[in-house]
Amino acid sequence: MIELEHVTRAYGEGPHQVRALDDISATIAEGEFVVVLGPSGSGKTTLLNIIGALDTPTSGTVRVAGQDITTASRGQLFAVRRRTVSFIFQGFNLFPGLTARENVQFAIDACGRKGGASADEVLESVGLTVQARQFPHQLSGGEQQRVAIARALATGNPVLLADEPTGELDFQTGVRILELLQKQSGPGRAVIVVTHNRQIARAADRVIELSSGRISSDGPPQGGKANVADLYW
Amino acid sequence: MGRRRVGRPTLPTSTGRWSAAGLWLRWSWRDLKARWIQVAAIALVIALGTGSYAGLSSVTKWRRASTDDGYARLNMHDLRVELAQGSTVPEGALLEVARELGGGGVVDQAEERLVVPIQVDASTEERAILVPGSIYGVNVSDSGPGVDGLFVDLGRELTDDDVGKPVALLERHFGKYYDLPPTGTLEISGGQRIDYAGQTLTPEYFLVTTDRGGLIAEANFAALFTSLATAQQLTGREGLVNDLVLTVVPGSDRDALKAELTGLLAVRFPAVGATVTTREEDPAFKIIDADIDGDQQIYDIFAVLIFAGAVVAAFNLIARIVESQRREIGVAMVLGVPPARIAIRPLLVAAEIALLGVVFGVGVGVLLGQAMVSVLKDFSPLPAWHTDFQWGVFFTVGAIGFLFPFLATTWPVWRAVRVPPVQAIQSGYRAARGGGLAPLFRWVRVPGNTFAQVPVRNVVRAPRRSFLTSLGIAAAIAALVAFVGLIDSFLATIDRGEREILSANPDRLEVDLDRPYALDSEVVRVIRESPLVDQVEPQLRLGSVALKDGEDFGLQVQVLALDSTVWAPRLTAGAVDREQQGIYLSELAARNLGVRVGDSLTLRHPRLEATGTFSLVETELTVLGLHQHPFRFVAYMDSNQAGLFNLAGTTNLLEVVPVEGPTRDDMKRALFPLPGVVSAQGVSEVSEVIDDLLSEFVVLLRVIEGALLVLALLIAFNSASINMDERAREHATMFAFGVRVRTVLRMAVVENLILGIMATIAGVVAGWLLLRAIIAIRIPSTLPDLEVIPVISPTTLAISVFLGVLAVALAPLLTVRKLRRMDVPATLKVVE
Ligand SMILES: Nc1ncnc2c1ncn2[C@@H]1O[C@H](COP(=O)(O)OP(=O)(O)O)[C@@H](O)[C@H]1O
Ligand SMILES: [Mg+2]
Repeated sequence: MIELEHVTRAYGEGPHQVRALDDISATIAEGEFVVVLGPSGSGKTTLLNIIGALDTPTSGTVRVAGQDITTASRGQLFAVRRRTVSFIFQGFNLFPGLTARENVQFAIDACGRKGGASADEVLESVGLTVQARQFPHQLSGGEQQRVAIARALATGNPVLLADEPTGELDFQTGVRILELLQKQSGPGRAVIVVTHNRQIARAADRVIELSSGRISSDGPPQGGKANVADLYW
Repeated sequence: MGRRRVGRPTLPTSTGRWSAAGLWLRWSWRDLKARWIQVAAIALVIALGTGSYAGLSSVTKWRRASTDDGYARLNMHDLRVELAQGSTVPEGALLEVARELGGGGVVDQAEERLVVPIQVDASTEERAILVPGSIYGVNVSDSGPGVDGLFVDLGRELTDDDVGKPVALLERHFGKYYDLPPTGTLEISGGQRIDYAGQTLTPEYFLVTTDRGGLIAEANFAALFTSLATAQQLTGREGLVNDLVLTVVPGSDRDALKAELTGLLAVRFPAVGATVTTREEDPAFKIIDADIDGDQQIYDIFAVLIFAGAVVAAFNLIARIVESQRREIGVAMVLGVPPARIAIRPLLVAAEIALLGVVFGVGVGVLLGQAMVSVLKDFSPLPAWHTDFQWGVFFTVGAIGFLFPFLATTWPVWRAVRVPPVQAIQSGYRAARGGGLAPLFRWVRVPGNTFAQVPVRNVVRAPRRSFLTSLGIAAAIAALVAFVGLIDSFLATIDRGEREILSANPDRLEVDLDRPYALDSEVVRVIRESPLVDQVEPQLRLGSVALKDGEDFGLQVQVLALDSTVWAPRLTAGAVDREQQGIYLSELAARNLGVRVGDSLTLRHPRLEATGTFSLVETELTVLGLHQHPFRFVAYMDSNQAGLFNLAGTTNLLEVVPVEGPTRDDMKRALFPLPGVVSAQGVSEVSEVIDDLLSEFVVLLRVIEGALLVLALLIAFNSASINMDERAREHATMFAFGVRVRTVLRMAVVENLILGIMATIAGVVAGWLLLRAIIAIRIPSTLPDLEVIPVISPTTLAISVFLGVLAVALAPLLTVRKLRRMDVPATLKVVE
C-alpha cells in the first residue's frame, strides 16, 4: 500500500545541508498498524508528511496506493490527500468555527464521498454522541482528538496518518486514543502513528525506528507486542 | 550604561541600556519586514490621511494669508457709501462728510468714485459677449486708487496721462472667463468705444457676485475701471460722484462708524438715499471668508474618517502581530521581563509604522497642496499667492497622525502582556481561543455543505475583529460617499434649477430693461415686432425682502402670467390662483421663514408713487404655493397682482421666444443694442456657466476621489491579507485534507463578502448621514440662497458597492500566490 524507495529529504544546500530523511526504504501493507519511533528531530514528521503528500522527497520514490507521488502533479497530490490519506495532528487542528459534527462533515465534503457512514455515525464510532453539537473550545483535549480522529475516519481513506496524537494528552486519555487508533487498522486500511514514546510503540504490530533520518530498526516492538491497557508512560 | 549587570545573559536587561535598545529596535524591525506588505499598506493609509489633511489645511492657511494680503495690499475699504441708484452729488461733498467722521482723525484714506451701470459688448469673432456691467470712475493718480486699489494682472496700469481719455482696465475674472486678450477695445452703452489697457484684480471682485444671488457671476458681469473724469464724461455726469470708499485707522469700531456715517449722510443729504456698508458686509468678502472656514470644516470631517480607517487598520495589524508573538511574550514573562519591557517590541513596530506613514504623508501633503493651489490660483486669481511650507500644520497633523494609530495599538499590546505567563506559554489546543459568538449562531445554517458554513462561522466567531475590519472599510467608504455625494448633490441642484427653467421653450431669452416700461412703449413694441421674435411675454422682476418673525432675506419677485404658455413655474405645493393676492415661494424660502401654504409673510417691496419715484412699503401676503426652483430668492406673483407695486400694465423683463433659425448670439446682437435693454441672456446660460466652472475643478475632484478609492482599496486589501494570515493554520489543515486552493479562496472570498456587505451598508449609511450633515452646516453659511438637497447618484452608489463589496470580496485573490506557496507542513507545525 505504501512503498518507499531510497527516499531522501534534504533541507538547504552545501555544508549546511540537513538530511531529515536519508535513504529510507520501507513497505507498509494494508491492514498494518505501524508506529514510527524516534527521538525529536529524527525525521518522523518529515516521513509522515511525505507519505501524506504534503511534502515531496529530494530523491527517491514514494508510492501510495499505487500512485507515484514523487512524479505526481500538484493536482494529483491534492487528490491523494482527498482520497487516499487522512491526517490526525498533535495539536488537533480542528476548525474552531465549526461544531464537532461539522468538523467531521467537512472531511466528508472535502473528499467528496457520497454514501457511507454519516458524520454522526462516525462520531458515535469514536464514542462521541452528546458532544456532536459542541464547538472545539467547549471540548476536552481527549474529546477534541476523538473529533479529529472521527474527521480523519470520515473520509474513508485507506491510510490514516497520526503525528504524535497523544502528545497533548494526559496518560489515561492517551491510552484510549491509542486504542481507538489501533482499532482502525484492518482490511483495506493502514494506520501509521508517529511517536517518540517507546512505550506507545509497544502497542504496534511493527515499529520503524528512525535515527538521524535513517531507519535503525524495523520489525515487531522490542519485547513483543503489548496490550494497550498494559502500557504506562 | 550597564548599571544593572545582574540577571540573565540572553535578555536585554543584562546588557547595557543602549545595546538593549538596539536589540529591541532590530527585533521590531524584523517583525516589520516580515509583514512589509501590510505595513506598507497601513503606512500608506496613514500617509494619505495625514498628507491630505496637512496639504488641505495648508491650502486653507495659504488662502487666508493670500486673501488677507490681497486686501491689505490693495487697501480694501473699511466703509463704503453708495448713493441710491440714479442719485449723485457734486465731487468733494462725500469727502467732506467723511472728514467729519469721529470728530476727524479716524479716517485714514478716503476716495470718491462714480459707479454707473452700463452695458458692455466684448464680442469676439466667435461669440457674442454682451453683458451688463459697471463702470468705476476712480482716482488713477499716484498709482491710485488708494482705497480698493487695482492690481493689474495683464497689461498696464492707468496713470495721470489716461485721465479724461477713453481708456479703462477690465476686471480680470470676466476677461479670464472669456479668454479675452490682455488689451483691447470694448463697446459700452450708447455705442461708445473704450480701450482697455489691461485686466485688473480688485478686492470687491476677488469673487464676482451679483445682487441676483449668482455666485460665480463673472460670465455675466463686466466691471470697468477708469479715471473719474473719463467715467463722468462717458456717462454724462461731469463733476458728480455717487460712491465713497474709505479706510479707518486701526482699532476703530467699524460698526459704530457706520452708524455715525449713516447719520451724517442723512443730515447732509436728506433727499438722497445713501447706504453705508462695512467691509464685512461686502458680498465677495463675506463669501470668501465663510468659504475658507467652511472648506476647512469639511477637511476636518474627512480627516477624522481617514484617520479612523488608518487607526483601525493599524490596530488590526498590531493585534495580529501581538497574537502571533503570544508565545514569545509568554517566554519573556517566564524569564521575568517586566510587562512594560515586553510591550516595547510590538509598540516599536506600531511606532515605526506610524512614523513611516507620517513621513510619506509629508510627501502626499506637499503634492496635494500644490495641486490644489494651482487650481485655486487659476480659479480665483489674487495679487499674490503665498504658499510657503506650513511647518506648524505639518507638525501638528504629523503628531496626530503618529499618535492616534500608535495609541490604538497599545490596547492589544496591553492585553497581551497582562495574561498570566502560564497561559501565555500554553501551546496547542489549550491556547486556542474561544468561539466568540459562534455558539450563539449555531443555528445559522446557510444552504450548502460545510464549505458554505465556514465563512459565516468565521465572521461570527471573532465579532470584535469582524467589526473592526468592517469599520475600517466602512470609514473609507463613508468618506468616499460623502465626498462624491457632495459633488452629486451640487450638480443635482443645478440640474433641478435647469430642468425647471427649461421646462418649456428652452431657447427663450430673458431681456432685462433698465426700468418699467408701458406695454405699448417703443422698446416693447420693437422687440415684439422683430422678425427674429416669435413670442414675447412681458413680466416684471422686482427686488424685495421677505420678513417673518425676525427672519429676513432678499427675494427677486418675478411677476408673470401664471397660466402662460411661454413658461410658468411648476408648483410642489398649493395651487395657482390668479385672482388672489399672494406669493409663490421656493421651498427653501418657505422653510427659512417657517411658513407653509396658506400662511402669511411680510414683503418689503418697491411701489411706484405718483411722483414717479419708488418707495419701499411692506405688505402682508399669503403664501399661495411653493415652486421647484432650488434658489431661495426666486419668487413669483401673478401679473394680475401687479397693482401691488403700482406697476400694472408695465414691464421690466421680457421673456422672448425666438423664431426658428436665429442663434442665441444672433438674438443677443439684435436685442442688446436697443435703448432700455440692460441684458439679454439665454435662460440656460446660468447653469452653463456653473457647469463650465465646475469642469475646471473636476480634475482635482477626480484626484481626491481617486485617493479615497485607493485608500478604501488599501484598507480592504489589508484586512483581507491580515485575515488570511490569521486563517493560515486552518487553511493548512484544509490543504492536508486535499481541499483545493480555489475552494479555500472561495471560502475566504465569501467571508470577505460578508464583511464587505456589512461594511458597505454601514459606510453608505454613514456617508449619507455625513453628507446631510455637511450640507446642513456648510451650505447655509456659504450659499444661503441655494437649496442643496443631499443626493447620492447611482454612479456613486455603484462605485461604493463595487469598492466595498466587490473589491473587499476579491481582495483575498491577491493573496493567492501566498496561499499556493504556503509551506503546509511548516504552517501545521507552527505553534502559535
Ligand atoms: N522546513 C525545514 N527547514 C529546515 N530543516 C527542517 C525543516 N523541517 C524539518 N527540518 C529538520 O529536519 C529534521 C527532522 O525534522 P522532523 O521531521 O520534524 O523531526 P521529528 O518529527 O522527528 O521531530 C530536523 O533536524 C529539523 O531541524
Ligand atoms: Mg515531529
